[in-house]
Amino acid sequence: MKAENSMTSPQETPAEPVETGSRSTGPGRLIVAVYGVFAISATARASYQIATKFTEAPVAYLLSAFAALVYILATVALAKKGVRWYWTSVVAISVELLGVVAVGLLSLLDPALLPEDTVWSGFGQGYGYIPLVLPLLGLWWLWRHRPRPERMR
Amino acid sequence: MVVDGFFIAGAVVCLLAALICVVAAVIKQPPNDITILSVAAVELFLLVYGIAAIVRQAGGEAVAGEVWEFWGYWITALLVPIAAFWWSILERTRWSNLILGAVGLTIFVMLVRMEQIWDGALAV
Repeated sequence: MKAENSMTSPQETPAEPVETGSRSTGPGRLIVAVYGVFAISATARASYQIATKFTEAPVAYLLSAFAALVYILATVALAKKGVRWYWTSVVAISVELLGVVAVGLLSLLDPALLPEDTVWSGFGQGYGYIPLVLPLLGLWWLWRHRPRPERMR
Repeated sequence: MVVDGFFIAGAVVCLLAALICVVAAVIKQPPNDITILSVAAVELFLLVYGIAAIVRQAGGEAVAGEVWEFWGYWITALLVPIAAFWWSILERTRWSNLILGAVGLTIFVMLVRMEQIWDGALAV
């Protein structure tokens, strides 16, 4: 009886809800940590620029602030469980990738438009190009841990 | 170009700590006494650096850049090893050692900025 029970029990357990929590374990924790560092440094830099010399280059500094918000959102969304946070992190990291590519191209084509540096200027060269590599790594990680549809029974 | 002795000492501590943690991750160790102590050494250095900076500034030593920016970096830097320690021991895998290793590299970069602010040296 007992043995029979333990043999059948795995099939009786209800289907797992969509498994997305695993994206914040293992290497995912390192990705969250690196995003956290960028969230802090981008926020500090944007606050400093806006507090001390906002009128010199408002567009560049607002862009800095926007980048900081994107990094904060990505950090939180990557660390949280659940499908909604999964898609939040996909959107945040996609915006980050678009931002770093767009700002990188702009700073090459028209340097006068953004005279002051942001995290994303020159494809993130001031930060060892990590801002360019990080979203690619993040999207790859999210793709590897995409939510699977519940199995039909 | 004058480079501060404190900066050189801090750079050595940070890079050694990062190296220890990365090696531990490569040989598939979870965070252990050695890697956690290496991060503690970074924190200890930051405390000594901060106290020395208070003494030096009180003694009238000039800071090339903005003084409050230097202290902003210092306070933020103090929080980094603590946050990383907390985040790494919640799940003790070898990846957690890379989180600890990131502390050394992050603090190293922050020390470079603090050295730039203090001496105006190391212009990139």
